[in-house]
Amino acid sequence: MSNKAARNLFIFICIFFFAIFIALSADTLSQIDKRAPEITDEVNAGKMVWHKYDCIGCHTIFGTGSYFAPDLTKITDKKPKDYLKKFLMDPRGVNPRAAMPKLGINSTEADNLITFFQWVAKVDTNGWPPKPILATAAEVGGAALTPGQSLYQSLGCVNCHMLNGIGGTTGPELTHVASRHDRAWLQGHLKDPKAYVPGSAMPDFKQLSDQQANDLTDYMASLK
Amino acid sequence: MSIKYESQKIAQYFYTFAVVLFLVQVLVGLIAAVQFMRPDIFILNFNIVKTLHINALVVWLLVGMMGATYYVIPEESETELWSLPLAKMQFWATVIAITAVVLGYIWQGLDPQANKLIAGTLALNEGRKYIEAPRWADFLIVVSVLLFLLNCFMTVMKTRKWTGIQGTLLTGLTFLAVMYLPGMVYFKSMVRDQFFWWWVVHLWVEGAWEIIAGALLAFMLMKVTDVKREVVEKWMYIEVGLVMFTGILGTGHHYYWIGTPSYWLWIGGVFSSLEPVPLLVMVWDAFRTTRETRVVDNKPGLYYTVSHAIFNFVGAGLWGVIHTLPQVNKWTHGTQITTAHGHLAFYGAYVLLVLSMIYVTLPAIRGVKSFNHSRALQSFWWMTISMVFIVLVTTGAGMVQVYMERLMGLDYVAVKTTYNLWFWILRAIFGVGFLIGVAIFVIDFFKLGREPLTVAKVATERA
Repeated sequence: MSNKAARNLFIFICIFFFAIFIALSADTLSQIDKRAPEITDEVNAGKMVWHKYDCIGCHTIFGTGSYFAPDLTKITDKKPKDYLKKFLMDPRGVNPRAAMPKLGINSTEADNLITFFQWVAKVDTNGWPPKPILATAAEVGGAALTPGQSLYQSLGCVNCHMLNGIGGTTGPELTHVASRHDRAWLQGHLKDPKAYVPGSAMPDFKQLSDQQANDLTDYMASLK
Repeated sequence: MSIKYESQKIAQYFYTFAVVLFLVQVLVGLIAAVQFMRPDIFILNFNIVKTLHINALVVWLLVGMMGATYYVIPEESETELWSLPLAKMQFWATVIAITAVVLGYIWQGLDPQANKLIAGTLALNEGRKYIEAPRWADFLIVVSVLLFLLNCFMTVMKTRKWTGIQGTLLTGLTFLAVMYLPGMVYFKSMVRDQFFWWWVVHLWVEGAWEIIAGALLAFMLMKVTDVKREVVEKWMYIEVGLVMFTGILGTGHHYYWIGTPSYWLWIGGVFSSLEPVPLLVMVWDAFRTTRETRVVDNKPGLYYTVSHAIFNFVGAGLWGVIHTLPQVNKWTHGTQITTAHGHLAFYGAYVLLVLSMIYVTLPAIRGVKSFNHSRALQSFWWMTISMVFIVLVTTGAGMVQVYMERLMGLDYVAVKTTYNLWFWILRAIFGVGFLIGVAIFVIDFFKLGREPLTVAKVATERA
């Protein structure tokens, strides 16, 4: 191949593949808004908060960002809104071991940011992030669970609390929770956490029936 | 070795600024590495330290490439630069703009509320990775790059000697300038935001920058060996042609999970799997050329040039391809595997590229025939061995993270603080090794050709 032919091939490749790329991009841009909920003013204000505090300097969103702190794509599916708001405004007030500093996010900013996260969580991301294979398998194929264990899983307690090495780190670990608190405390705390732990970011579970609250407390009380 | 045109000396201004920023980049990088274990150890939070780390990287590489281009263009055009005062002015404008941006980041780090919304844009930090620079700085950067390109094109037009190398180099640089623009638009949708963000980031590092790397590699091979121009230029066209063939649609590997349609899964998968091919051709090209030419005076120049080709392939190519298929990427996306790939790719493809351009051209700029090679080789081994280990331990951390967090469902923070702790410790230790390498390089940069050579050293180098 002569030098001129090689050069012309390079130019042809550039033009040809750019043309395809632009055509695909045009098609993608026409579909993007259909794959996501409507963008309200609050969502946009929340996105601006995200940029203002350079959140992407530590976190990722859609898996893109800085790998220093958790991915936030589905954060509103995992954590209750009240918890998120408290944490955003004062991370170490909620969890003394949190790596995140207090940035000065105010109440409105926190609300908007959470609305933005709710928008992000509803975007069609082709199934990302996938559900962890092993945790999913354990839920489906595990041995018969007690009513309390089923509730523990269905209420999503695992998202914040660690139990036998599995679960979140934002709430206290529950592996030996019954050695710290008695049954009455556990049951009362479940219905009204703030009455037992001032400033607690845990949502209350008043919606549980007495039977359910009993079952869950039985399970907690067994964790010695 | 000496320069043919006086105006080529301007390259040294840019190299000096690049070298200083390189040192800053690695210093803050080391702080960031320690913050993985102790987040509160420094006055600035991780996000700002990280922003400084990656911005210093991008800027010093760009500034280094600008310097290299100012060296290459007069030589290829066989004439003095169109306007030396313009080049100097552009240099100082760049230094001032970059310094202002850095001070802005630090200010925001000390007082997050200072990053205020003014006229619809954030005053100090746009909060978008790599392109954090605020809008006012974007305009200054664009002006600086336009002046730079104008100076280069006018120089070429003086003699109209469009050699393949400078034609390709300027194509890459123009492409680079154009691809900065999509980063200067605000999008309400986070999906659109990331879609166009990748136009800047991917089409820079896997498009424009690789074209520049191909052109500079060809130039350096001509300089350190006596290979014929026709041969290097032909292979250069083939390499950059393959880069564009695989790289443009390879952008698709960033469009798997950000809210874009699913056809990108197979387009991105197919084309990005081919991305190592042109990089492998570059390695073969570098080895073939140097093997055919045994007489090499500038050994550091040769070392850096060949290792640039090798680590471009290993870091950008192999470490990229291992997690580029959607079936794999679904689990590895956004983990420390990406960090490992990023570090080796930038080191191999661009850090070694700019350093090799410095070692190939600096002796001529300083007007010395031979120079003490020992520091150049010492720094090379300190940096390269340290970086390889940084990448291996980060890959280890990534594998643990993928298994425990993504497959088993353990909490992100639990994996990071408990199971990956040793990887962070090792990474920081190798980070110190890298810093030692950089320190030796910086000393060498300032001393090269400026200290008397002993007779014994001249004799060993000739042997």
